[in-house]
Amino acid sequence: MTAPLLEVKNVSIRFGGVEALKNVSLSLNPGEVLALAGDNGAGKSTLIKVISGVYHPSQGEIWFEGKPLLLRDPQDARSQGIETIYQDLALADNLDVGSNIFLGREPMTKRFGFPVIDRAKMHDVAREVLQRLDIVIPERKLTGPVQMLSGGQRQAIAIGRAIYWNARVLIMDEPTAALGVPEQRKVMELIHSLKSTGVAVILISHNLHDIFAVSDRILVLRRGEKAGERLIAETNGEECVRLMVGDTYQALQ
Amino acid sequence: MTATTATLPPEPLDRLAWIGRVWPWLFLLALITFFEAWSQARIGRTFIFNGYNLQAILLAASAPLMLAIGQTFVIITAGIDLSVGFVMGLAAVILAQATLAAGDSNAALAIGVGVTFLVCLIPGWINGVLIARLGVPAFIGTLGMYGVARGAGFLSAGSGMTVSIDHEGLAWLGDGWTPIIVTVVFLLGAHIVLSFTRFGQYTYAIGGNPQSALRAGINVKRHLTIIYILSALFAAVGGILYTARYSAGAANAGESMLLDSIAAVVIGGASLFGGTGKVIGTLIGALIIAVIQFGLIFLDVNAFWQFIAVGVVIIVSVLIDQYKEKLASGK
Amino acid sequence: MSSRRTVLFSLAAFALSALISGPAVAETKKPVVALLPGVVDPFYFTMHRGAQQAAKEEGVELLFQIPKAWNTAEQVPILKALIAKRPDVLLVSPVDKQQLVRPLKEAADAGIKVITIDTYIGEGKYQTGKGSADFPISYIASDNAEGGRIAARALAKAIGGKGAVYCENNKPGISSTDQRLQGFLEELKKYPTIKVLETQYNEDDANKAAAHVAAVLARTPDLAGIFGVNTFSGKGAAEGVRKAGKAGQIKVVVFDAIPGIDQDLKSGLVDIAIAQQPADMGYWGVKFAADLVRGKKIPAWKGTGFVVMDKTNIDQPDVRKFIYSN
Repeated sequence: MTAPLLEVKNVSIRFGGVEALKNVSLSLNPGEVLALAGDNGAGKSTLIKVISGVYHPSQGEIWFEGKPLLLRDPQDARSQGIETIYQDLALADNLDVGSNIFLGREPMTKRFGFPVIDRAKMHDVAREVLQRLDIVIPERKLTGPVQMLSGGQRQAIAIGRAIYWNARVLIMDEPTAALGVPEQRKVMELIHSLKSTGVAVILISHNLHDIFAVSDRILVLRRGEKAGERLIAETNGEECVRLMVGDTYQALQ
Repeated sequence: MTATTATLPPEPLDRLAWIGRVWPWLFLLALITFFEAWSQARIGRTFIFNGYNLQAILLAASAPLMLAIGQTFVIITAGIDLSVGFVMGLAAVILAQATLAAGDSNAALAIGVGVTFLVCLIPGWINGVLIARLGVPAFIGTLGMYGVARGAGFLSAGSGMTVSIDHEGLAWLGDGWTPIIVTVVFLLGAHIVLSFTRFGQYTYAIGGNPQSALRAGINVKRHLTIIYILSALFAAVGGILYTARYSAGAANAGESMLLDSIAAVVIGGASLFGGTGKVIGTLIGALIIAVIQFGLIFLDVNAFWQFIAVGVVIIVSVLIDQYKEKLASGK
Repeated sequence: MSSRRTVLFSLAAFALSALISGPAVAETKKPVVALLPGVVDPFYFTMHRGAQQAAKEEGVELLFQIPKAWNTAEQVPILKALIAKRPDVLLVSPVDKQQLVRPLKEAADAGIKVITIDTYIGEGKYQTGKGSADFPISYIASDNAEGGRIAARALAKAIGGKGAVYCENNKPGISSTDQRLQGFLEELKKYPTIKVLETQYNEDDANKAAAHVAAVLARTPDLAGIFGVNTFSGKGAAEGVRKAGKAGQIKVVVFDAIPGIDQDLKSGLVDIAIAQQPADMGYWGVKFAADLVRGKKIPAWKGTGFVVMDKTNIDQPDVRKFIYSN
């Protein structure tokens, strides 16, 4: 069996006097969707920030493609193929689809011998990426600011951006939080198609329905520690909640 | 869902959005036509089809326009620079003093210009540090620099408040169409930067969503610092042209131009909330103001009406800007 | 839709303007004189009225525009718009004796005759063939140097010949106020018992002038007198004295008799007001302009007089009439 794509080995991190993560491990294979669940303050955000290079762990290691990974900053993580889509999507509302896909790494071309941004290429790629994801956006909205698009379309662009830059691991933080039901379903479809192309996904969600719709495994954190890990097929919603909340739930029974 | 990119018929809202973008041009055209008609009918002379008149209008527009170009960059990032008027005054004084000290030759003028730019880096850089690194709101930070630059300008000029200079090369720079041409060159440069370069793209990105710019790997703090330095340098050019035109550097050179510079940017279509705006729009804004001012005087209207007129135009621009916002997000 | 609309709008504007402006003006033989003073100020409005009277007498068309601040960047665009109208003569109060030289040269080069009123450019000596600022035809003003001397004498008398005094001034570079200061300082040299403190510049802002009074008073508690060289300097100085509660103790001599000066004189806040005669300046300006248009020669300098006002004579009608008004 080949080594997992991503391995988190006994990672701990302290902030001042607080231990936000204690001895957390996980592994992720290509094409797998790992749901990351837990109550508020359980450490989900902290964990994904460690994986995406925002924080450096105080203890433990991260291995990627069988080799240890030392991330200096989020740019480093992106260049390795670990992309994060935060809840606010990090899209520049006033720029068009192509500009958002290429933000920070715009392609250049020459006009009269001077380097200028290659807007034609950005536009073509935008169209291509959306086609690949099976998203319909009329031509004139493609050239307008992304502010004009719906929540689901914007989520699709964020995902499309990650795919275009060959993300191997895509971390998604509450992707359906602000969406209506039909758009939620669309996003789940997109995640399915990501799986089929071999991208590994870490999905943070409070939405158990989504988790069960698309994940292979679920890892529950509680107060910075791993409360449990299950195969989705072998568990149910009640057990997951129990893992998230712990003994207090028992006490309420 | 199928993968075809459907072509939908153009919606009426699109037309409105187009008018929202294009209305400054239409308005300028209407203004000129209006004044020309009035002028022909009332005094039998042309308003705009005359070399002297055209030059006078363009010169009147060019001074606040120079400030407004830098202001455009700043406003696109959702900031504002209130110090530009007095940085312009400081530059006017420094140019006169530095060139006087350096001699009579054109090389002396070049030295004077160089020194002026170097000195004006300072207020720009301080603005940048205050706003980008220390998180001071742009209004407050640049308001502080307004006072500092003003004091520095008057201190430097001494009790005379102006520094006279009689320099052939400098006078040439300030003569006839030259200041207008210089302004146009800087305008074009600014347009190219904003529309075609990464620097311009990042300026818009930061104005639209600084968080996403940061996540995209853009060094937002450094970029914003450079923006405020740019604004100060454009103000410096404004000061240099002032001294060139009047053969004297006055510390209060740009005192009355701050509000006009902001008005030009707003009338031109930029939003004070950041993320949008073009220097060509700013140009139209500056021209609208200059045409109104010249026109009212040319037609013997009490000049105070011009304040009302410009004020009304600003209010209309902001209303249109709000409406555009509503259209874009409500869609 | 929109380009058609633009065309329709323009045609409508054209038609409308033709309608509201009445019959087209035929070629007029009336001489056109443009009056461009320094700033919004009762002094210049009084000048305008004198000019209007002469315009009526001489059958001259008088154009009038006024800058909102005493500032080159304010005056020059207005100047250029007036030049564009090609008046026969331009009556102007240049806001700076150096910076307005080139812009006014443009007027002269365009064939417009330039007469400066109240302030001058260069040295104020025109038509000498010397220097770059000698092209204006005439300079009409009070003899400001003499006015400064009159002020010095009046202030010295009011403070009893001894004490500390200073001058509240607009800003350097303006010919009229520079000359008044000069006359003032020169004349005071004749009074060794009077100490002259440093001149304060308020940039034509009465509030600043008032603030200066407070500051100088704090440094020199036995301040005896202040000379305000123009409208706003005088107003601000008087206000500063009043706020400090020293009305009557600190003697104030002001140049220019602004509305309300009669109250200030009677209450003792101001001791002497030296009124210029701006209506005369405006009147002679237009008279000279009309002469120029008719090819007559005019003198290169005309001095207008002063009226020294104090509380004893202010109620006399032929003194009172020299108070400026809007």
